[in-house]
Amino acid sequence: MNTPAIRIKNLTKDFSVGMRGVKLRAVDDLCLEVGDNEIFGLLGPNGSGKSTTIKIILGLLEASTGTCEIYGKPSKQVDARRSVGFLPEAPYFYRYLTGRELVRYYARMCMVPRAKIDAAVNSVVELVGMTEAADRRVGTYSKGMLQRIGLAQSLVHDPQLVMLDEPTAGVDPLGSAAIADIVRELKRRGKTVLLSSHLLAQIEGLCDRVAILHRGKLVREGRVDDLVEEKDAESLVVEGLSAEGRAAVEATIQAQGGILARIEKPRLSLDAYFLKEVHQRESEHAAQQVKTGSQKS
Amino acid sequence: MSLLNSFTRIRLIAGTTFLEAVRQKFFNSLLIISIALVASSTFFQQFDFGTGELKFITDFGFGALFFFGSILSITATTQLFFNEIENRTALTMLAKPVYKLEFLAGKFLGAHLLMLSFSLVITLVLSGILYWREAALLARLGEDVLLDGPLVRYGDVFVFGFLQWIKFGILAAITLFVASFSNTNLYTIIVSFFVLIICQLQYIARDAYSGMEAGLERFLVMGLGLIFPNFQLFNIGDQLVFDVEQALPLTTVLRLAVYGLIYTCAFILLAQVNFRRREI
Ligand SMILES: Nc1ncnc2c1ncn2[C@@H]1O[C@H](COP(=O)(O)OP(=O)(O)OP(=O)(O)O)[C@@H](O)[C@H]1O
Ligand SMILES: [Mg+2]
Repeated sequence: MNTPAIRIKNLTKDFSVGMRGVKLRAVDDLCLEVGDNEIFGLLGPNGSGKSTTIKIILGLLEASTGTCEIYGKPSKQVDARRSVGFLPEAPYFYRYLTGRELVRYYARMCMVPRAKIDAAVNSVVELVGMTEAADRRVGTYSKGMLQRIGLAQSLVHDPQLVMLDEPTAGVDPLGSAAIADIVRELKRRGKTVLLSSHLLAQIEGLCDRVAILHRGKLVREGRVDDLVEEKDAESLVVEGLSAEGRAAVEATIQAQGGILARIEKPRLSLDAYFLKEVHQRESEHAAQQVKTGSQKS
Repeated sequence: MSLLNSFTRIRLIAGTTFLEAVRQKFFNSLLIISIALVASSTFFQQFDFGTGELKFITDFGFGALFFFGSILSITATTQLFFNEIENRTALTMLAKPVYKLEFLAGKFLGAHLLMLSFSLVITLVLSGILYWREAALLARLGEDVLLDGPLVRYGDVFVFGFLQWIKFGILAAITLFVASFSNTNLYTIIVSFFVLIICQLQYIARDAYSGMEAGLERFLVMGLGLIFPNFQLFNIGDQLVFDVEQALPLTTVLRLAVYGLIYTCAFILLAQVNFRRREI
């Protein structure tokens, strides 16, 4: 497909707040394009207009000026949302339904054929790791579980475009990593993902392109690598180098006309460290369970 | 095809709305209170009303149906609508390929379904009690009382229940309309109750304008009489059940049903006009 998944042109959104029609500009002359099969990150501090932008893309809010299209269809048309999945920020769902009933309900609203519903529901519930809790009422879920069932709900009809508003808010690092994996898998299947977040560490390794918003204005937009790479520097990671060896390397660098800008100890990110440790415990715990299980039987 | 899909979605929303209401304690407790009240009318049997006892029980039951039904219709519709806004489930819903009119129609039908089950349960309980007291009376007074026709026309109990249900439908649609422009629960409930009272007393305005001379004032009062449906039309309990000579003609029932349907649709469409512009 050559039409971009999302095309936003000169989008401005004013909210009238207060009595005398005081305007609050939430989105200011925003232009964006999200290509097909791209993972796009919408970044920005609190109140910078991320959620507002997403809601306008979905046709939930009306733009004050400017246009907004999903695969070439104006987002005001109900038709444009036919193949779109959406996870709102801080989602709450029908508390009196069970997780499975909820996902099923949304699947049927999206006209998933009857024959395929059960398989579709089971597979997304499994995908987000909620199989165990799926038959409990949504009202009893924790924040992270709500987020996960929300993700399941947004994926159940196999949409071409998925919009996730802070998908990892309230989810533990393990869950965040799982969500990141799901997003990568979606890309592999040819889907387009737009997500907003302010947890930059998670976005960095995930998104193809990002846009940074500030007070509703687009500040920067581009490929992650292009934005953060130090163009004229490289780093070498070395192990088991003696003091003499190091002196020799430094001398060589100098002789070759390079400048040794700084020497750092490479560090594991806390995220990666946490994941490593927890994964280890998890597998030990699982092994333990298997052992006690086999002892009992 | 797309119309069919539309109906499927409306049905789904209505089903979930109904389920929500039933799984909430409020509906169940109100239902139990009303049943208890209808049943309590039998405590008056010691006063020995003779056949008047049956009339008393019926009036009592109809009164309970009207009173609690109106409360339930307004509060449940308000609650079901605002839950959806406050919990932001409306956001998730409307982010799907769902028209706002489908959403409103689904919400309305869910509430209407709730009122149907409420009306049905109350009328069933009432008929049961009537049947029981009738049997007791016959045993006491002998078969002679049956000479000029049956004591109770049970069909009429259900006709009354049906007409009340139609009226609750108008009320639910009005509530939905009020909810579509108001921001809070409480405001919606209060305004809707005001409208209910106006609709109940609307016949006064009708009487007034028939006595007025032509002119702007008369035009205004007449307009008011058109905007607000006349709920007094539905209070035909006195003609039902007992009055053998003047059984209510079917055409009157049908005409009332159509009258209700027109007002219901009109108010839902008005709600849609507001709701379309609403930022959720
Ligand atoms: N319904 C509304 N009425 C009035 N103002 C609003 C409304 N919704 C959002 N705003 C304002 O618009 C601005 C942008 O809000 P938005 O929710 O888009 O921010 P965000 O980037 O998603 O922030 P966060 O990271 O906290 O989720 C804020 O100043 C907010 O107060
Ligand atoms: Mg936000």
